[in-house]
Amino acid sequence: MKRLLPLIIGALSGLVVLAAMFFVPQGSAILSVVLNWVIVVASVALLVAIASLVLTHLRFIAKGKKGFLLNIVLVVSFITTLVLGILFGVDDPIFLRLVGAIIRPIETALLGLVALVMMSAAMKIFRERGWSALTVSFGVSAIVFLILGLGFLQNLKIPLLNEAIRIVEGLPMIGARGLLIGIGIGLLMMAFRVLFGMEGSENE
Amino acid sequence: MNLPELITLIISVALTLMVFSYILGDRLFFGIATHILIGVSAAFLALVMIQKVILPYLILPLADPDGPGFWLALVPLVLSILLVLTLFRNGIQAGAIPLAFLGGVLAALAIVGVTRGTLAPQILSMLGRFEPGQLMREAQPQWSAILEALMILLGVISVLFVFHHRGQLKAGKLVRPVFLEGVGSIGQIFIGITFGALFVGLFNSALIALISSLSEIIRFISLWF
Repeated sequence: MKRLLPLIIGALSGLVVLAAMFFVPQGSAILSVVLNWVIVVASVALLVAIASLVLTHLRFIAKGKKGFLLNIVLVVSFITTLVLGILFGVDDPIFLRLVGAIIRPIETALLGLVALVMMSAAMKIFRERGWSALTVSFGVSAIVFLILGLGFLQNLKIPLLNEAIRIVEGLPMIGARGLLIGIGIGLLMMAFRVLFGMEGSENE
Repeated sequence: MNLPELITLIISVALTLMVFSYILGDRLFFGIATHILIGVSAAFLALVMIQKVILPYLILPLADPDGPGFWLALVPLVLSILLVLTLFRNGIQAGAIPLAFLGGVLAALAIVGVTRGTLAPQILSMLGRFEPGQLMREAQPQWSAILEALMILLGVISVLFVFHHRGQLKAGKLVRPVFLEGVGSIGQIFIGITFGALFVGLFNSALIALISSLSEIIRFISLWF
């Protein structure tokens, strides 16, 4: 019974939304109401997740766990931002500038760090996975697209070369299309399993 | 440069240096910077959610019992209370109902979104290359267009075969038929090409970010010398 009620609610809500989307415009009103509920519930779920994060860090501070200085940093930065946001308002330009001054440089520097990490990770792929169709094509493709990214070959303005470049630039789309269709089919199967209560039922 | 700009620049350079200290093997300053990012982002996200979603869609309709949205707002209120109960040890089970509701609706949205937004456009765009108008011009076959259309079709099919894991278990190892293995290898080449191109795109963005961060530090140093 503990599992049955959530399964019924999940299946019912999904089927109602599916029916509302197929029977337009009759179902539009129901769809709009259910989507509003979903927006609210998803937002509350996010707030609960944030609250859980802060509570976990507070627990670590109370227990004096190793590295609790970082926990204090997180909690202090969270509370300070929250208080300032309540005092000034989320749309206040000074508050937005302050938040931007903290978030933007860290995010940019982290992304810059990714460039360095990616270089070593690319080398690691060959060491860990050896030479295979996947790794060789990955390496060759990376080098080719790095060269094409310079724009030097395009500037030579040789019609035959430009045609070859056009074909080469279209090649990643083939793999991407295959991956997208594969992911789409997988997602579709997963959605149907959730809708008909089959997902997780093998764990019972 | 005025005072607020200078303060912003000092904060920016300090945080950038804290992140880059990771390269020197430091974990403390890097940890402080990332924990500041998590704390500030989480608080900002919470504030935006409360002000832009919870207040207008949940609290305001409930504040007006005679309004049209009062009864409709009771459903998300109950589901939200059940979600909040999951924060307490005894209330973890209560979260199953709102999560099931979210899962069901999102699954339905995924079915429609994936079929209409991903599968149908991708398959139609692939098959659209086989339209007679695209393959023939002035009653003459366009061999390059035919070759390109065939390559795309075979490429996509071979990529799908990479994830086809049907075979026989021999000595604990999955052995696939030779045909599947061959087609799958071609698919792997196409996936490798795609990942290579994506890698370069991401690498270029990361490199631009790195240059931007370094130029910020240089700008700060040039203020004093």
